[in-house]
Formats: sequence, structure tokens, C-alpha cells
Amino acid sequence: MLKIEHLRKDYKSFSLDCTMEVKPGCVTGLIGQNGAGKSTTFKAALGLIRPDGGSIRILGKDIRDFDAQDRKKLGVVLSDSGFSGYLTVADTAPVLNSLYEDFDKAFFLEQIHKAGLPDNKKIKEFSTGMKAKLKVITAISHNARLLILDEPTSGLDVVARDELLDLLREFMEKDEDRSILISSHISGDLETLCDDVYMIHEGKIVLHEDTDVLLSDYAVLKMDERQYEALDKQYILRCKKESFGYSCLTNQKQYYLENYPKLAIIKGTIDEVITMMIRGAAL
Amino acid sequence: MKGLLIKDFRLMKNMKNSILMIIVIAMGMGAYIKDASFIITYLALIGVTFTTSTMSYDEFDNGYPFLLSLPVSRKGYVVEKYIFGLLLNGGGWLLGSVIATVAGAVRNTAPVRDSLMMSLALLPFALLLLSVLLPFHMKFGGEKGRIVMIITMGMIFAVVVLGAKLAESMHIDLDAALEKLPAMGTGTIALGGIVVGVVILLLSCRISIGIMEKKEF
Repeated sequence: MLKIEHLRKDYKSFSLDCTMEVKPGCVTGLIGQNGAGKSTTFKAALGLIRPDGGSIRILGKDIRDFDAQDRKKLGVVLSDSGFSGYLTVADTAPVLNSLYEDFDKAFFLEQIHKAGLPDNKKIKEFSTGMKAKLKVITAISHNARLLILDEPTSGLDVVARDELLDLLREFMEKDEDRSILISSHISGDLETLCDDVYMIHEGKIVLHEDTDVLLSDYAVLKMDERQYEALDKQYILRCKKESFGYSCLTNQKQYYLENYPKLAIIKGTIDEVITMMIRGAAL
Repeated sequence: MKGLLIKDFRLMKNMKNSILMIIVIAMGMGAYIKDASFIITYLALIGVTFTTSTMSYDEFDNGYPFLLSLPVSRKGYVVEKYIFGLLLNGGGWLLGSVIATVAGAVRNTAPVRDSLMMSLALLPFALLLLSVLLPFHMKFGGEKGRIVMIITMGMIFAVVVLGAKLAESMHIDLDAALEKLPAMGTGTIALGGIVVGVVILLLSCRISIGIMEKKEF
């Protein structure tokens, strides 16, 4: 669906080197701090910026050959860009209808009304949540094969976020070949939605793991100095000095559960893992 | 393409009050002022300004990245703007010509034939306006584009004045050359002007596509 290999983009104070893949039928998450390189990756994948190196293949085509016709198969949400604020929802429907042959106007309008979005109010007068909903509904209304969603839930409250994630789940259920690439800095969104997750930090992918594995096999071990000295460190990915001793990230929770029953072992969450991957040191 | 045109016409709704006011002013001018050519250039210029306004609306709140992630190529975006610009610019020119012709006939200040000839003669200028304004707007955006354009126009004006002075010092008689023009017939001049205008417009479109292709969003 989407294959990015050693995508390079150099800015003055930031350099991106990203390799990742979104497989058919999968929801793949990209998680990282603000400024880690998520949006740069998305923009390069959409041909909005020119890469300085590497390759991007999207729906089987090189990004340089990916034309307007091919874009009909994409649904896109960008965190900081959308329809002109001077348009209304009633204005956008006929525009989308002309741009996409597969635009499902009835579905679009139904979702708009379900979400409580007004037809004739200018988009610039919408709240953050309303704008976010409009963007996602726009992206899922033309039978896209791949959704590229950059921070679709940013600025939303818990309930609105849940509603959006439900829309994305429904989108995936309709066709098993569809895929989603989604970025977020709210890990909870990704834990419940994604099949696999990439973590990006300072322009580099620091971890790629299936979400199930991440939640079942990753853990943070907490221990004092003495326990740390005695610890078998072959499955430790990152280590961090703490006031009480050490925190260690492992991807073999079971091994430590069985062999070190006295250690405090905290089940891995995406938040725990990303914090340790970024702030901890490799051994 | 059609989708973008729909978008631009929908954006024009935001300017409907200005449009109405401008038409009323143009009609007022038709009733009172002598130089009807002003009405035509005025309305054609307004048409071009409205076109660049839709680009400002596109630009508003960082709208370009989203717009270009729709099934729209950069070239397609530019070509659509030129088509939209031609519709508005041409529309302005046409409306201006109608007002000028009717006013000339009703007030008995100009015969219909003269008014029509004047309209035709002004069409290349209308096209030129579009050809100059759009690339500047594409390259520099709304605010900066205006400033850069004014500076460039000033420079062109300076070059023309300098050129004329230079010709004068070299004893080339520009007046005599200009005087020969009417001998070619107004129709031929107007037609030639329109052809030149269209060529410049196509060239301008090509330049704008180049500008847009190079941009990063």
C-alpha cells in the first residue's frame, strides 16, 4: 500500500531518515513527539515536499508518477490544513462530488448530520472538533483504498475522539483491502486502532512493533541498584536511572516475570514504551 | 478541474456584495463619465483581482497542502486559475463593453461601432493584466505578491522611459513609428493585439506552472 525506504529530508536543524511500510488491510500508526518528523513523512508521502533521497511507493507507484487520477484512491487528513475556511459544508459537497467519481454524497451528508455539523456556516467559524470531524468525514466518503491521517484526533475531547475512531473502524470493516496510516501523539488512539506501530524520534524510526506484541510482551521493570547489578540484561532494550534505582524496558516480559518474580513489572503501554525509548539509554 | 471551478465560484459568494457594488458603480460611471474605456479596464481589472482573491482564500489558514492532496495536480490547479481568471476577466471586459456601448449609444457620445472597436482594442490589455498578476500571486502569495508586483511594474516603467530617452538620444523617431500604426487599420491592430495577448497569457501560464511545480508545502 505504502512503502517508504530511507526517505531523507534535510532541513537546517532537522534531518529525516524514515523507512516504514503500510500493508494491505492494516492500520499502521506513526507515533512521536511534536517535531519528531511525522508531518514531514506524511507530506513527502503525499508529494507536497520533495525528498532529498530514498524512495516512496504508494499504491504500487513511485510518488513521482502518482498523478491526480491516482489520488482519487487516497483519503487525506492533514493536521494543519483543510478546506478554505471561507467555504461551508454545503459548498464542499459539490466540489468533492466533482473531484471524486466514487464520492458517496448520501453517506457524506448523513455523517455530517450525525456529527451535528451545520451546512451553511463557514468552516472558519467551526470549533476545532467540528473541523476535525469534517476532515475525517471528507476523507472516508469516496471509497478510498488508503487513508493518510496526520493527527486526525488532535484537539478533540474524549467522546469526539471515540466517535472518530469508530468512523475509522467502520471504514476498515467495509473492505478488507483498505489500509490506514495514522499519526497521533495520543497513544490511546493508536493502541485501540492500530495493527502495528512505528515510533519516530528526531527523524528516525526507533521502534516498529505489532500493537498486540507491544501490549503483551513489552514491560517496564523497576528495580534498585542491587537488583539491577544482578539482572540478566540480554532482553533489555533501554535503561534509565531513577531516584529509586533503575527503570528498564524489555520486550520479553514473560522471561523476567518467570526469572525475577520480585521485580516490579509494569505492563507496557505505548506511552511507557515511547518514554523509555526516547529518554532511556541503550545498553 | 470542474471541482476547483465549483470551489472558486462558491468562494465568490463571499464577495457578492462587492460585486453588486462594483456593477452599480460601473453603471454610474457609464451614465456620467466621458471616457468609457475606463469602465472596461476597471471591470476587467476587478475580474482579475477577484481571481487572485480566490487564491488568497485557498491560501487562508494554510489551505494549499490539503488542496493539493485532493485529486488535483499542481498543473491542473494553475490551469484552472487561468480558466477562472479568463472567465472573470473576460466577464468584466464583456460587462464593461456592454455598459460602455449602451452608454455611448444612449448618451449619444460614441457610435456603437467606435465603442465596439475600443472594447476590442482593450481586450489585449485585459489579458495582459491577468498574465502579469497571476504569476506574481503564485510566486509570492497575496501580501508580498502585491508589493513585488508594484516594484516590478515601476522597474518596467523606468526601463520603458529610459529606452525612449535612449532612442531619442540615438535619433530614432518613435512618434513616426507610432503614427504609422493607424494606417494598418484598427481591426488589424486589435486582432494583432489579441493574438499577442493570448501568446503572453499562454507564456504566463507556463511560468506559473513552473512556479507551482517548484513549491514545497
